[in-house]
Amino acid sequence: MSHSAADPTMHPEVQLSTSKGYFLGFAISAFLMLVATFLVTSHSVPPFGLLMVISVCAGIAVIAQIYFLLHIDISEHNIWNTVALVMFIPLFLITIGLTWWMFSQLYLRTMDMSVMSSAMQPAVHASATPGMADMPGMNAHTDSGN
Amino acid sequence: MSSHASTVDPKKAELWDTHHHSHDVISTRTLGYFLYLLSDGMLFATLFAAYGVLSYQHSYFGGPTPAEFVKPWYTFAQTIALFLSVLAYGFGMNALKHKNKSGLINGMLAAFVLGVVFLVLDIHDMSHLYSMGITLASSGGMSAFMVLTQVHATHIFFGLIWILVMIAQVMTKGFTEETVGRLLTLRMFWHLQAVIWVFVYIFVYLWGYIS
Repeated sequence: MSHSAADPTMHPEVQLSTSKGYFLGFAISAFLMLVATFLVTSHSVPPFGLLMVISVCAGIAVIAQIYFLLHIDISEHNIWNTVALVMFIPLFLITIGLTWWMFSQLYLRTMDMSVMSSAMQPAVHASATPGMADMPGMNAHTDSGN
Repeated sequence: MSSHASTVDPKKAELWDTHHHSHDVISTRTLGYFLYLLSDGMLFATLFAAYGVLSYQHSYFGGPTPAEFVKPWYTFAQTIALFLSVLAYGFGMNALKHKNKSGLINGMLAAFVLGVVFLVLDIHDMSHLYSMGITLASSGGMSAFMVLTQVHATHIFFGLIWILVMIAQVMTKGFTEETVGRLLTLRMFWHLQAVIWVFVYIFVYLWGYIS
């Protein structure tokens, strides 16, 4: 990791920039976002399959950006950035995954969803959000609850 | 140790390392900043988790859900503006590699303008929601949606200020160890915003639109 401090532009982290790499990172991720947006708006795939497909798009786009833009690789110069990121990923996933799991179990065991969805219709706050009553589905089940 | 000791000539042995080792200040700073950015990633993890648990049907309290107001192609335009901004900054850093100061400043200016486009589109989107009566207070689900998307927008806002500061520093100070190190940390910051935006766009905007 040592190098001459005489010319900072010769630092390896400056020298590893390549226009081709940045362009590839842009092109891959932009193309995948285009595919995901197109699939979502065309309504041609059922929701669960759609979620899987756009998740894969997100995953590949993020990997391409991390490799091409953040220069995360196993080269001698970047190895500690890579180690830190690899250690970070489980923390990130566990934080989101466990929180989501705990609350989904909580909802499942404490709430009767059929009561929840019919009891909370917009009669109470229709005045606070004018225009919402015009939206599709907003006036369903107004006979119950409240 | 013993095998070494037997081969060392005590009259010629160097007990002290007399060579000057320059400390790699730039790499030390960029690694430290990368660790900071990962902790920033944990901030987003908590916000994604909050959105995950507050995006059930009952979380919207009978009010509007993202399925009703998200416009995928509008947000896709934001996505492309941000990705192009990141690309422009990357091209600027490639100019830095060749000591091309005007190329660097042009790249940063382009990154700044495209970042402003992203932010203006976001503010326009939020004011449109506000005009429809959808605010932070509409429901728990809307609070989670708005806080997550606007925390990302706040990162973009501060990144834009940082880009202006770095343009000024490059123009006045040139390529010193300090300015080059800051350009590298800004590159990490700016490029990481694109990575986080992929998650925001796919799992908040598009997933919200289809669910």
